[in-house]
Amino acid sequence: MKKECIAMLLAGGQGSRLYVLTGDMAKPAVPFGGKYRIIDFPLSNCSNSGIDTVGVLTQYRPLELNSYIGNGQPWDMDASTGGVHILPPYLSSEGGSWYKGTANAIYQNIGFADLFDPEYVVILSGDHIYKMDYSKMVERHKESGAACTISVMEVPWCEAPRFGIMSVDGEDNITEFAEKPKEPKSNLASMGIYVFSWKVLRKYLMDDEADPNSENDFGKNIIPKMLADGERLTAYRFEGYWKDVGTLESLWDANMDMLSPESGLDLLDESWPIYSRTFSAPAAYLGEKANVTHSAFNRGSELLGTVENSVLSQGVTVAEGATVSYSVLLPGVTVEPGAVVRYAILGENCHVGKNCHVGATPETVPPEDWGLTVLAPGCQLADGREVPAKTMLDRDGQEVSK
Amino acid sequence: MNGLHGIVFSYEQRNDLKELTEIRSAASIPFGGRYRAIDFSLSNLVNAGCTDVGVVLHGRYQSLLDHLGTGKNWDLSRKRGGLKILPPFAFRQAWGEQAAFRGKMEALSGVRSYLSEIRQDYVALMEGDLVVNLPLSDILEQHIKSGADITAVCGNDSFRVENGTYFQMDDAGRVTDVLYHLNTPRGYRSLEVYILSKELLWNLVDECASHDLTSWRRDVLQSRCETLNIRGWIWGGFAAQIRSVREYYDRSMQILDPTIRKELFCPERPIRAKSADKSSAYIAPSGRCLNSLVADGCSIAGTVENSILFPGVVVEDGTCVRNCVLFKETAVREGAQLAHIIADKNVEVTPGCMMIGQASYPLVISKGSKV
Repeated sequence: MKKECIAMLLAGGQGSRLYVLTGDMAKPAVPFGGKYRIIDFPLSNCSNSGIDTVGVLTQYRPLELNSYIGNGQPWDMDASTGGVHILPPYLSSEGGSWYKGTANAIYQNIGFADLFDPEYVVILSGDHIYKMDYSKMVERHKESGAACTISVMEVPWCEAPRFGIMSVDGEDNITEFAEKPKEPKSNLASMGIYVFSWKVLRKYLMDDEADPNSENDFGKNIIPKMLADGERLTAYRFEGYWKDVGTLESLWDANMDMLSPESGLDLLDESWPIYSRTFSAPAAYLGEKANVTHSAFNRGSELLGTVENSVLSQGVTVAEGATVSYSVLLPGVTVEPGAVVRYAILGENCHVGKNCHVGATPETVPPEDWGLTVLAPGCQLADGREVPAKTMLDRDGQEVSK
Repeated sequence: MNGLHGIVFSYEQRNDLKELTEIRSAASIPFGGRYRAIDFSLSNLVNAGCTDVGVVLHGRYQSLLDHLGTGKNWDLSRKRGGLKILPPFAFRQAWGEQAAFRGKMEALSGVRSYLSEIRQDYVALMEGDLVVNLPLSDILEQHIKSGADITAVCGNDSFRVENGTYFQMDDAGRVTDVLYHLNTPRGYRSLEVYILSKELLWNLVDECASHDLTSWRRDVLQSRCETLNIRGWIWGGFAAQIRSVREYYDRSMQILDPTIRKELFCPERPIRAKSADKSSAYIAPSGRCLNSLVADGCSIAGTVENSILFPGVVVEDGTCVRNCVLFKETAVREGAQLAHIIADKNVEVTPGCMMIGQASYPLVISKGSKV
């Protein structure tokens, strides 16, 4: 079945900088924003952009992600032609290997892309929170006649050294690409979203695989090679909310952004909905003594205590006399009476016992000792336990260091 | 196959639901913050392992059809069986005319060929306006064990419902009399949930059709009470039959009670609903929300107490919403005050507006109104 455009979503990363949160699941499966998982964003963007064929490349701890994606129905990706396909590494008669890099992952799935004989392939990653109409980017790619279009956004100059930086000419053709440059020549950062003309990319992937010195990575190998060969690469400028949620701090920040529409992350806008797999539970109940302010919460929750400046997922219980502030509670968390949770990320199904103290406000501890407190999914805290700021506990309640 | 087949009836009754049924039948009335009444009967059936459900339609069913879709929300969109929509009266209606619903037996004889295709041994008859969480698989087991011809599920109360049916039972649990149109209800309140074998159902439908008998409760239950072994199965939990504004309101408010909510939404038998892709609910720094159910996508900047908010309700700054039920996407603008109001979908209450109903007489605002 021929498709003009398909998407390949790189979802194999471990997300090691999310530490205990990705102990049992790949980063794109990590819950976000109360009712989503990170992967809902690129999948919903595809669906809303009219891209109905998506290959999801998985490798690290895929169970949670695979079962979440299922048949793709929540994103309208269960059509009889196309749809969402989970693509793990595989063995063949010549052997096989794990995905060695982002480019190698696509290389190993050339067969998948060829099934649809596409003109264009959109390469996406599963660790960004943003809303974007890929069809506009593909449109621009077509008009420009480029081999590759890379979406970029302006970042503050001081932050540019953290990104892959593109230098462009007057027509936004890319003249130079520098990965995390110490002295950036531009402040246009790559967002890790590429549109390729498939025939060209296919050839580069073959060549790249044949090169024993290559790390098989888009940013490090494919893009520089194309530039060196004089292929036409153009930048597609994106304006709007975009955040890499690869670290605990940025994940927490992005959740907090959801509470303030001025951040640009407007999830209430129904013209571009973000879809997610749903969960059967009644509406949230707020008790007679509940004190919930500047917070987001979801179905299946019972909120009887105090909740401030926090983002609560589905099925969260905050008992009477408990306090949760500046925290992100993932699905199924219970906070018992008298417990206090501050500046923390609590993984799925954590249980915070009575009178526990988890985390601290920045004012109360010296700056060098302050940081987010994070509990791994399933962590059970016995009554009265103190978990200081900047501490991470694993599933068994043992402290782990970064 | 020794399973259960579901048939759910959705039909127009006397209009005691007023504005709430202007555009829908009772089966698709929103209930409990994110459900429609029929979600309960469908979920009860599905939770008992039921894979095939027929929904008999009569009157104002566009809203219900839209809600049911292919049935996928209840896992009833299947290759074999699944959800079937049954409009038994379609063949004899002229445009613009709606004949009154004369009874379930007439409706069933209108879909007789569907009944012949039932794969399961037993059939559960239910009504779309019943809000309950019944352990139907236990009831089926009991039905088989007891050797009853018909098992009739009833509440252990004589609570007055519009057009209710009440049973007299002997000590052994056999129904001895069937009463309706009672001035003072007595006996056990029928929840209008019946289990019987498909063969008996076929016989009864054919018998009734050949004698031009239309009513299940008059022509089957009441008149055959002595010849058929009809046994009651008593349910002591929450069971609401949504048939009047007052009952709708009182029953809605009851689910603010945690014990009732726990039972109605028990995790072993989840109630499934259609889900809109709304983001999280949000309470602003100026917002205050107590003793209320709040669905996804609501945004609260005013005061909300003892209320039920469906998805996407907006309550702006300086407002006061007390003892209200606000359906999907209702907006309460700055400074408005509402008490004892049921606002249908997409209502807009303009700034500063004040509307006060009473607990004994809640006011209903029609869908899409601007007040």
